[in-house]
Amino acid sequence: MGAFLKTPKEWPLVLTGRAAALSGSAGDLDLAVRNGAFEGLRRAVRDLGPTGTIATVASSGLRGRGGAGFPTGEKWRAAANQPAGQRYVVANGYGADPSVRTDATLLAADPWTLVEGITIAAFAIGATEAIVAVRAEDTALVTLLEGAVLAAEEAGFLGDDVLGSGYRVTVTVRPVQGAYMLGEETVLLKALEGKRGQPEQRPPYPTERGLFGRPTVVNNVQTLAAVPWLIREGAQAFAAIGSKASPGTALVQLRGPAGAGIAEVPLGTPLAELVRLAGGIGKRSLKALLVGGPTGGLLPADLLATPYEFDALREVGAHIGSGSIVVADDRACIVDLARLLTKFSADEACGKTIPCRIGLRRLYEIGDRVATGTPKPTDAVLMEDLAHDIVASGLCEHERLATLPFTSGMRYFRSELDDHLLRSTCPAGVCHPIAVGAAATPGSR
Amino acid sequence: MSLVPGMGIVRGMGLTLRRFFAPKATIKWPEQQADVAPKFRGRLQLLYDEYGTLKCETCFQCAQACPIECIDMGGIDTKGRFHVHWGPPETYGERREESAVRRSGRTVPDATFPRFDPVDTGALDEILERHDYDPKAMLAILEETQAEYGYLPVGALKHISRITGAWYASIYGTATYYRHLRFEPPATASVPAAGTAHAAIEQRYRSGLDASLGYPRRAS
Ligand SMILES: Cc1cc2nc3c(=O)[nH]c(=O)nc-3n(C[C@H](O)[C@H](O)[C@H](O)COP(=O)(O)O)c2cc1C
Ligand code: SF4
Ligand code: FES
Repeated sequence: MGAFLKTPKEWPLVLTGRAAALSGSAGDLDLAVRNGAFEGLRRAVRDLGPTGTIATVASSGLRGRGGAGFPTGEKWRAAANQPAGQRYVVANGYGADPSVRTDATLLAADPWTLVEGITIAAFAIGATEAIVAVRAEDTALVTLLEGAVLAAEEAGFLGDDVLGSGYRVTVTVRPVQGAYMLGEETVLLKALEGKRGQPEQRPPYPTERGLFGRPTVVNNVQTLAAVPWLIREGAQAFAAIGSKASPGTALVQLRGPAGAGIAEVPLGTPLAELVRLAGGIGKRSLKALLVGGPTGGLLPADLLATPYEFDALREVGAHIGSGSIVVADDRACIVDLARLLTKFSADEACGKTIPCRIGLRRLYEIGDRVATGTPKPTDAVLMEDLAHDIVASGLCEHERLATLPFTSGMRYFRSELDDHLLRSTCPAGVCHPIAVGAAATPGSR
Repeated sequence: MSLVPGMGIVRGMGLTLRRFFAPKATIKWPEQQADVAPKFRGRLQLLYDEYGTLKCETCFQCAQACPIECIDMGGIDTKGRFHVHWGPPETYGERREESAVRRSGRTVPDATFPRFDPVDTGALDEILERHDYDPKAMLAILEETQAEYGYLPVGALKHISRITGAWYASIYGTATYYRHLRFEPPATASVPAAGTAHAAIEQRYRSGLDASLGYPRRAS
């Protein structure tokens, strides 16, 4: 099974299909080519041409895997239509969520699909420079990617003359490090420009004014890695996978009381299925699912039928985010959990704007005093108002999303919050110095 | 001089009369407040209190808060030299104390003085040349400078600013943002591996999450 969890046979593997064949020799170009690498690039360059490639990606319905789910074809078209002497493609492989390793694991198992995907993207939008941004601490991965780029260049798949077509695409690997916010696209571009990593107002979107002020496509690693498959097998084949509005597959990082791992799943798979993939719930009962990483939403057990896809998750107050699903059983306290997540988000916020610098910190402080047994009677209203204001006035997605743990917690677990607020008890027996709830047995943790 | 005698006076009085009936700009402040744009913040200036003492506490809060670094602080040290930014923000509090004492008239030891020791810029010049003196490569320049000196000495930052033409404040802003860059000499001589500065925070998040969930702790 290797780096990825085994999934049902009928689930197509768009991203990790080649990983098993490459296992142990991920850096072997010949082996990768024998397994279909660079066929998509050939098709794009020889048959489709730039506009045809963008049209294919658009009609496949591929949406960005970086969290927001923006239609990739549309993004590429916007950058391609922007008049400019220079354009850039940036693969966002930073993987900001500390407990998620999906992108890095994919790259380590099969670097070729990203190298091919980013070359196709550069070819399609007319960019000669493509940058793969990964974490500096993954030194082995940086070396693997640099080797892969070099080998592909020598074989003529990229470089000065892509497959003899006369197009030039230079791919560079850029290690970055030092802050959570580097995952956000405008921050990542700032880091690549050598500036302090604070988000920029959007619009103008990077597709209009990005790296060094030039049109730039920033795509998640998984987004780009899906492109070769969909060009090779056709847009229809890709559109047929998963749900109608969000076709294709994505990597999820699963963690539950009985197991953990990374799996490639078709979008639209019900959350219950993913819980099963994570090893089920064990002897205890499921309390909540944290969907979307540190800024994710806390969903109750009766939403287990929700399909894992962009729009449905947004509707219930979570998001795909970093692609992480954490299963919490009855040992967890929602207030405690939301407080922890909000603290992380507040600590990592860049400090550029007031909602970012002060809003998130206050949200955490209110949650903290609820959890530590010194709430004020108005705290529930205060939290709701504050979260609303942060969402309304935030500069970047981070602040807006960082309110989700508390807002979703209040939406679905209001009685638990009220226990803290009005009765000074923590039903799960987690929060101190609040009196331990009757339901919880002391010492069970 | 007018030909008609007294005409000058008539003209002068005419002006006075006209002004007398024209709308006035004067308002009865503070009962009446001036009508200014909502984003108007007044002139940036340091004020004195009724004893003639500078009101500024040199707390550096404004310089630290200003997102675009248009507020910055400089001053004359005890040896009569002018400095902008006396070092890392961690020392702001310290200097605030110090300046309060100094304003009380007592002499204070100049603890910040050694920070401005000149550094040997030979290696730095090589780094700058490798990057073509290009401020766009600032992050790489700073990383390599840190690898060379073990930290980012103020003298080195000033040198980078002078040579590349990038503002000191923006170099400083970049350098303070990334966790792997630091301004103090490391406790040990060796430079820690890439990512260690951030790794501790991420590890704390992971173990905090596990503790919150009641899961057994993970290896890493
Ligand atoms: C706080 C924050 C962190 C993010 N972290 C990542 C990340 O680690 N990796 C990523 O690909 N996108 C991340 N994103 C999303 C990017 O800003 C951007 O939307 C994405 O890279 C675009 O690629 P896509 O169109 O393929 O989704 C993050 C966004 C925010 C607000
Ligand atoms: S940008 Fe700086 S100077 Fe301008 S209002 Fe904000 S804090 Fe004040
Ligand atoms: S995190 Fe600072 S503006 Fe969004």
